[in-house]
Amino acid sequence: MRVKLLIKSKPYILIFPALLLVVLFSYVPFIITLINSLHAVSLSGKRLGFVGLANFRRLFESQSFHASLTNTIRFTLFFVPTNIIVTLFAAVLSNRKGWLANLNQIFFFLPMAVGMSSMLMILKMMFNPSIGIINHLIGLKIQWFNDPKAAMALLVIAGVFLDIGFDFLLFSAALRNVPKDLKEVALINGANDFQIFRHLELPLIGPTFIFVLVTNIKDAMLISAPVLILTEGGPFRSTQTLVYQMYLEGFKSGNYALGSAIAIVVFLLTFTALLALLRLERRRIYYQ
Amino acid sequence: MKILRPTLATLLSLLIVFPILYSVSASFFQYTDFTALPARLLPTTLNANNYVRSFAESSLARFLANSLFTSIVGTLLRMTISILAAYTFSFFSFKGRNTLFVIIVATMLLPPDALIIANFTTIRALRLTDTYLGIISTSLLAPTHIFMLRQYFRMMSVEYREAAVLEGCSDTRFLMTLLLPMSKAVVLTLAIHSFSTIFNDYLWPLLVTNKTSMRTVQVGLTMMGFSENLDYGPQFAAISLLMAPILIAFIALHKPIKESVSTRFTGR
Repeated sequence: MRVKLLIKSKPYILIFPALLLVVLFSYVPFIITLINSLHAVSLSGKRLGFVGLANFRRLFESQSFHASLTNTIRFTLFFVPTNIIVTLFAAVLSNRKGWLANLNQIFFFLPMAVGMSSMLMILKMMFNPSIGIINHLIGLKIQWFNDPKAAMALLVIAGVFLDIGFDFLLFSAALRNVPKDLKEVALINGANDFQIFRHLELPLIGPTFIFVLVTNIKDAMLISAPVLILTEGGPFRSTQTLVYQMYLEGFKSGNYALGSAIAIVVFLLTFTALLALLRLERRRIYYQ
Repeated sequence: MKILRPTLATLLSLLIVFPILYSVSASFFQYTDFTALPARLLPTTLNANNYVRSFAESSLARFLANSLFTSIVGTLLRMTISILAAYTFSFFSFKGRNTLFVIIVATMLLPPDALIIANFTTIRALRLTDTYLGIISTSLLAPTHIFMLRQYFRMMSVEYREAAVLEGCSDTRFLMTLLLPMSKAVVLTLAIHSFSTIFNDYLWPLLVTNKTSMRTVQVGLTMMGFSENLDYGPQFAAISLLMAPILIAFIALHKPIKESVSTRFTGR
């Protein structure tokens, strides 16, 4: 009897650690975040009373949150197309044979080997307006950290360096799988490189394109480390993003309720974006 | 037209790799090399002074040790937990199997960054701030790993394991001598992925550590005090030292890395 019970409970024992961890670090915090966003919460994290949607009302009336929301959307709109165009361009250009093409490919995915904070520290020093190499090389005195437009551009540049390695690998793997004979037929029929890309390669790498698009949008909406390390939200909140403000509210001001409300907004935003894209994918997916 | 593509590709690739090359070069710069005009791309002399200083004047060695320890232990635990769960979901039939699987995998939709406030309060309540367990706690579970391992394990039929068990083979032996060696490629890829994710994590270790002695290297790197004083040499040295082993590994393994992405994401 005891042996039988042991055998029956064995699968549950084996998956117990995984279950415990999802409950402890995913479901419980999600529910706590949801509950806290509807309560007044003290500095020590104690709930003081139900306030309904008051936190959200406060959030939507505050200038700071408006800045975060518009900056996050602006960053997403600038970053995603820039990153995809640069990465796709890199993948198409280096989709050749030979040692030089091989070297190009290694260079394109090498940023992936550099840790996020290392890469951001390198950029922070290179873009320093007074002694950084970038202003010296281009011969301009751009105030990368004090001019709102330049600071946003810097975040987009940083985003590309952080993402290009992995996205490049995905795009170039997909491009390598485009059948050679199709390209040859197109070439014989007089198609130029751009036409081959637009009408042959792009449709065939559709699923990879959608995957990169989805992960880029998710990453962009959750951007925080580049803001923390490079700009600290400045100048004048011009680069303050949602997750960065959540961090400020939660850990610098001790405002857990407001921080939780921002977290819920972030969930809803990423979730809607992902759902919309999944529908798009279902409607116009191209199978190889 | 024949030359245009390689030329453009080379120019763009040099631009992309420039921060990495510059970092290595600048790690040998003297203080005056940074302010020289026209701007310098290569150091005047090759001396390791900056490297010595980056260790001597900061806790870099301690940061590195913390990171290596948490990444190695974290990866081992994460792989063990994932393999056990994936194994159970692939080879056992039990009540609630599909529901429990969905419960675990559905957490892929909850971005961990949005959960950090609540997770931080949990870790603080458990008094795990400034501990190694606190640092690795939230990365111990990877639903994506469980999902991918199960896809892979299911290629072996369930009868295979049942026959082995009937012959008196234990689950441990089946896993260690048959299943894991057969899935070596995917297990290794996921382990490397785990290691680099935990090693490179930034926001979470920043929150759960306060003492300098508990900082991981990615967090410590941003607080060494060199770059704030525009003393860039030692900062570039620390970064170069940190990325060198991974860069070398990536260059040496570039073929298998390209292939693994190709098979993992495009199904070929």
